[in-house]
Amino acid sequence: MTQTGTNVISDAAKMGAKMLTGGQLLHDLRDSDVQIATTPKDLVWSQDKVSLFHYRPLAAQRVHVPLLICYGLVGRWTMTDLQEDRSLVRNLLNLGLDLYVVDWGNPSRADRYLTLDDYILGYLSDCVTEIAKRAGVPKVNLMGVCEGGVFTTAFAALEPDRVNTLCLTITPIDFHADTVEERLGHGFINIWTRSLTPEDVDRLIDANGNLPGEFMAAIFNQMSPMRSLLKYNLDLLEFVDDEQRLMNWLRMEKWIADRPDHPGEAAKQWMKDLYQQNKLVRNEWELDGRRVDLGNIKMPVLNVYAKDDHIIPPATSRALGPKVGSSDYTELALAGGHIGVFVGNRSQTLFAPAVASFVEKHDVAAAKSEG
Amino acid sequence: MNPFDYSKAVTDFWTAQGQALMRAQEQAGKALAEGMKAVASGKIPLMPTMPADLSAGATELAQASKSVMDLWSAATSVCAKLATSLPAPSAGDGVVEATFRKMADPRTWMGATGEMDEVLGRMAEGPRFADLWEAERRYAGVLQAWMNLRRRSLEHNAVTLEAWLRAGRRFTEQLAADAKAADAKAALALWVETANRELLETQRSERYLLTQAAMIRATTELRLSQQDLVEHIGKQYGFPTRTELDDVHRTVTELRRELRAMRREQRMPVAQQPPRRAAARQRGTNA
Repeated sequence: MTQTGTNVISDAAKMGAKMLTGGQLLHDLRDSDVQIATTPKDLVWSQDKVSLFHYRPLAAQRVHVPLLICYGLVGRWTMTDLQEDRSLVRNLLNLGLDLYVVDWGNPSRADRYLTLDDYILGYLSDCVTEIAKRAGVPKVNLMGVCEGGVFTTAFAALEPDRVNTLCLTITPIDFHADTVEERLGHGFINIWTRSLTPEDVDRLIDANGNLPGEFMAAIFNQMSPMRSLLKYNLDLLEFVDDEQRLMNWLRMEKWIADRPDHPGEAAKQWMKDLYQQNKLVRNEWELDGRRVDLGNIKMPVLNVYAKDDHIIPPATSRALGPKVGSSDYTELALAGGHIGVFVGNRSQTLFAPAVASFVEKHDVAAAKSEG
Repeated sequence: MNPFDYSKAVTDFWTAQGQALMRAQEQAGKALAEGMKAVASGKIPLMPTMPADLSAGATELAQASKSVMDLWSAATSVCAKLATSLPAPSAGDGVVEATFRKMADPRTWMGATGEMDEVLGRMAEGPRFADLWEAERRYAGVLQAWMNLRRRSLEHNAVTLEAWLRAGRRFTEQLAADAKAADAKAALALWVETANRELLETQRSERYLLTQAAMIRATTELRLSQQDLVEHIGKQYGFPTRTELDDVHRTVTELRRELRAMRREQRMPVAQQPPRRAAARQRGTNA
């Protein structure tokens, strides 16, 4: 037999073995085997569909003031604790932080009239009150993620006396700054939202009640059109026989599949006030009749963004710097994209230590001022 | 049968199927247009208060179908060309080859970029027309909105299909010029990169954004017209309607909002409470 003929048989045998192993792995797996957000925590407060969880410590507590993680209504906070070796939550706990997370639940059509005012000055405010009461402190540390970063930014501007430090992660502030770089494939949500009229948004919500999670997923998928063609064949085949990589991939799939609907009235504000009219960076946004003035943010700020974030382009986040009233403003640029901030290998050693160091530094100051 | 013969056989098959589908849609549009003209000319008993422009809508739908059919024919030619341009797979590259062939199939193209269309379609799913004959005006409104959605969807699909055709052309040119893409894996990588770039550029174009916005608008209007019709029927039989449920939900949300505000006030020291509430609490304490 020729060398080429031997290679063909050998490669075919390898591929056959790979598919057999992968097929067996997928056959034996059950949905319950794929678990995300497993770090132990306790429900400490709830209201309507909103739940506040307190994480159990994994190391001796080094920081006095608790940190609340606030995700947005698009996607879910479970991304921050995807799996044991890729978990911002675990990393922060291991560094001695006292950690809380708020879960907004699964809004249904019955929640269509909830506004961003309700979420920020209602639920988030009550979470802050509860945490401060439990920890016996006047202020808490806030960490906002994406839309949740807008929530915490607005809260910090309206209630600065209740926020010790503000940490933002992949958070849009200037919703029109996607035009700064004009990178192909970046900022499509900004462009898409501006292609609609305010009346289109109103009618869309009136017709559907909420902004369906499925709808937003379709918009996200448009940002990487060829991925969907490769994802479930060639990409999957690459690692289908590697149990660890397969499980990592399935956990991410589980997170992606969890797409809550965005409450309708809140979605109108999100799309019209912010994406279309860009009121936040202009200090024109109002919640409960109170104007959100970014100049009121005088506490220390750590603004974390991803250099290749195609959903929240860096310029849209970095716009916060010149607007805040704080003299202690720091930026941290991480390699990778929107989700890579949480699950990327390099982020595991950079992100959590930077956040822990930031809150610890200002924790000492807070303790002294209390004393 | 060698791979290229097989590919050609498959290509011929779906070419015929695809064109038959498009032709059927075009003919259905024409038939609808003729039917509406007949209604308007009085040859068929006219339904009361029928919108006057249904006929025009059907004609536009037929025109949009025709455009997509033409593009579909062009896509089949490009696909046949891609199939013959593909480098011979090396050992173990069977999956790459199969993936490539799948991705060079226009049916997959429309599936890959038609997700929004599908989602919108599911969002607009509604009752069957046949059960709703009693509400002529609303029925006609739903029909009109449905035709408009089909037309807008076809117009948007045409923009997407054009992008795929440009990608196909660019790919074959690059493949001919690039000696590195001599094996199936490299050719697949080149195709992914080329098509991705073309699609992303198209998505930022004014035409794409306009046709997509029009499609979303049409979906919304169809859904609202369906709801209007169903509410009309529901009311006759005393069923609760979407509007009534929304009213209840709005009331519950407002009551919860007030309750949260009251609880928050209760937690405040009396001095910080709004005047009326503080006075009432003070009265309560004194009593």
